[in-house]
Amino acid sequence: MQHMNEQNFLLIAEGITKIFPGVVALDNVSFDLKPGEIHGLLGQNGAGKSTLLKILYGYYAPDKGRIIIKGNEVKLKTPRDARNHGISFSTQEVTLLPHLTVLENIMLLGSYWNKEFSYFNKEKILDYVLELIKEYGIEINPNEKVRYLGTANKMIVQVLASLSMNADIFLFDEPTSPLSPYEVEKIFNLINMLKSKGKGVVFVTHRVDEALKICDRITVLRNGKKIGTVDAHKTNEEELIEMMLGTQIHEFYFVKEGKEMKEITKIETPLIELRGIYSIPTKPTEVPLRNVNLRIYENEVVAVFGIIGAGKTELGKLLIGITKMARGDIYYKGKKIKIKSPAHALSKYGIFYLTEDRRAEGIIPLLSVLANMSISAFKNVSLGGILINAFKERELGTRFVKELNIKAPSLYVRASNLSGGNQQKVLLARALMTSAKLLIIDEPTVGIDIGTKIEIRRIIREISSKTGISVLVLTSDLDEALGIGERVYFMHNGTIVSEYTNNNPDEIRRKIISDFSNIVKK
Amino acid sequence: MSTTEKEEEIVVVKGKRKSPLRAFLDFYNTHDLARPLLPFIAILIAAISISPEYFLAPTNLKVLLYQTSPIALLALGEALTIIMGSIDLTPGSVAGFAALFTGLITLNSGNVPYAIALTLLVTTAIGALNGFLVARLKIYSFIVTLAGLEIWRAVDLSITGGSPIYGLYQYGFLMQDFHTFIPLVFIITLIVYVVFLFILMRTTWGRIIYAIGSNEEAVHLSGTHASLAKFLAFTVAGFLYGVAGIMLIATSAYIVDPWTAYGYELYAIAAAVIGGIALTGGTGHPIGPLLGAFVLTILTNILIIMGYTQYTIQEIIIGIILIAAAPALTRGLRWVK
Repeated sequence: MQHMNEQNFLLIAEGITKIFPGVVALDNVSFDLKPGEIHGLLGQNGAGKSTLLKILYGYYAPDKGRIIIKGNEVKLKTPRDARNHGISFSTQEVTLLPHLTVLENIMLLGSYWNKEFSYFNKEKILDYVLELIKEYGIEINPNEKVRYLGTANKMIVQVLASLSMNADIFLFDEPTSPLSPYEVEKIFNLINMLKSKGKGVVFVTHRVDEALKICDRITVLRNGKKIGTVDAHKTNEEELIEMMLGTQIHEFYFVKEGKEMKEITKIETPLIELRGIYSIPTKPTEVPLRNVNLRIYENEVVAVFGIIGAGKTELGKLLIGITKMARGDIYYKGKKIKIKSPAHALSKYGIFYLTEDRRAEGIIPLLSVLANMSISAFKNVSLGGILINAFKERELGTRFVKELNIKAPSLYVRASNLSGGNQQKVLLARALMTSAKLLIIDEPTVGIDIGTKIEIRRIIREISSKTGISVLVLTSDLDEALGIGERVYFMHNGTIVSEYTNNNPDEIRRKIISDFSNIVKK
Repeated sequence: MSTTEKEEEIVVVKGKRKSPLRAFLDFYNTHDLARPLLPFIAILIAAISISPEYFLAPTNLKVLLYQTSPIALLALGEALTIIMGSIDLTPGSVAGFAALFTGLITLNSGNVPYAIALTLLVTTAIGALNGFLVARLKIYSFIVTLAGLEIWRAVDLSITGGSPIYGLYQYGFLMQDFHTFIPLVFIITLIVYVVFLFILMRTTWGRIIYAIGSNEEAVHLSGTHASLAKFLAFTVAGFLYGVAGIMLIATSAYIVDPWTAYGYELYAIAAAVIGGIALTGGTGHPIGPLLGAFVLTILTNILIIMGYTQYTIQEIIIGIILIAAAPALTRGLRWVK
């Protein structure tokens, strides 16, 4: 796309492509920003929003594509280059020095860029900062220490510091997720203020309501591809959600239409049943579960669909005793149970949870591929759970490498040498070796290339039909949920919104999208 | 942010020719036993070339072996905790306490097997206490064992009031050499190492210890008894410190005082680190600490041969070696990861 007049744009990114080992993070994505505009970047986890932002801020170099700032093509090699071109980046993890005051922080940050500041003449800078504060209608005491400020105010201080560096392009990466509704209002006011001063704002979010509320234009990304840019005043929730989740079925459905679906009967006792579960978050990032009711029958694949912040991971970890329960009951084959720890869940009830965060909670990087597979299945590959039976271990390992088509130089190389998709398959092998009765698989295909994605979905379907175990898939990919789940739950904001028997994926897709829009409209 | 954007794996490229240096470095970094073998061979060559007639004399070799034995056992216990990504600062104090405790019981009862058994029981319990505080109450191992370092030394001092115990000649059997230059203490050490080589390589417990050092959260979520394994590792380490402490009675001329094994935690850590047990956890060969302990004692030996007998100079050199070894190990690791 050629821009008629590049001078009219603050920022143009053309044909940006970024490839990480094993996955295309951004595929020929174009993006532009005008002065006095708030441009939203909307997409799910793994859509490529953050990667694009980081390219614009010089963290990553794009493999292909150009970046044009105020009419000049530039190469952003480091964040410092980006700063020099007037780009400011506000992250969730605020990068301020907590033990210094607001004024000192602004001085310090500004001193790199603004010669005036480098003399640390407090009074002069105080006047300047007070003027800024007044101009932007902010309520902050410049002599307050930063550690006493709330998260929103810390972000505001970051923006103030950027303003003192004469920034005119502001990148916000999911600024609202750690904030309370009142604080969100504060940030929105600031962003609107920036807009009215003729600055350009890029606002990254996965929340449709926020995007509609504040943005002028919205660009939707999905799986590293740009789906389109729409005028925020001419679109609606349904359109955006459809763009975000995908409207066409490009991918396989493994649940065949016409297959006789298990009707939810009251006669059969579920393998696991959750009744009225409420949870207490132990970390600020955790989503509290509210009145969750869910059933998993034997030999069934159940999918729970929900975007980030829906509480899927908390739900999964509840079943291995990690999420702290406040109220409600868990039933195992009709009997009320208490799950104490992952080890207890696996040995007593045969419940195994496979994490969404491969790197932090899944792969054990320094152990061999084989050891990574067998760590949960010692009872199957050892004598009395103590002596490892190397022959049996290797035999099982070889079998799973073949069955799951894992590409590894050998069983004995470190797991860190494998690509993301193959690591995920190793984790699947770990889950399968346990001979558990219920596998909970959290985001089985996030950050994995499309070919492997489909392979993994096929494997999950096969697991259930061949071995007769139950699988609970937690996913933010609606295609995935509809592609492999016999029953599909839609989860939002810590609670189950609706439940469908997946006998007609297209119809259920429409229903879920309309459920979703109804929630967002509220 | 998604996982995709964090991925920065090394993709294994097959069929590409590596330069010999690169191939050697790869081998050196991926084979856990290669790492300690290099300094071991280097120091051995240095020692032999400086003074072959003195260094290779049977009496000197015997001295070397009995000096190495207790340090090697302390280093093995230390290695168990370092592999898990923890640290144990108690080896010196616990070994000192073990020596003193054995001495006192022997003086009172005259029964050597009884004294040894009781001491091993007590030091195992001390290890279990460390393990309980670290694995169950989730207190940082550095803090827990720093406290232990102080407490057990203080207990030594308050029991004896500062005066030494002489004449524990009953423990002479540990120096028995069966008419070779190999003393019993070293044979015991070798047996312990063979047992632990097997345990760490072939048992589920050993596997979990390495796994904890690499990614503890993943081990916990995988449904294994991670905390139990951690508790056991500290407990077993306590037992090994006890064995080392009893050996120290014999190797320090049958005299035990409240300052026996003072500062040995540094030797234990140094031997483990030189032995290729990376402080970042998760890697290292079980035999490594033995080679590391040899490097330390041969180094001291060389210094004595060269006439530097002051304790302080030896300490300084060990410190310098540690500084040189630790960053090299961690950097090398980051590179392989």
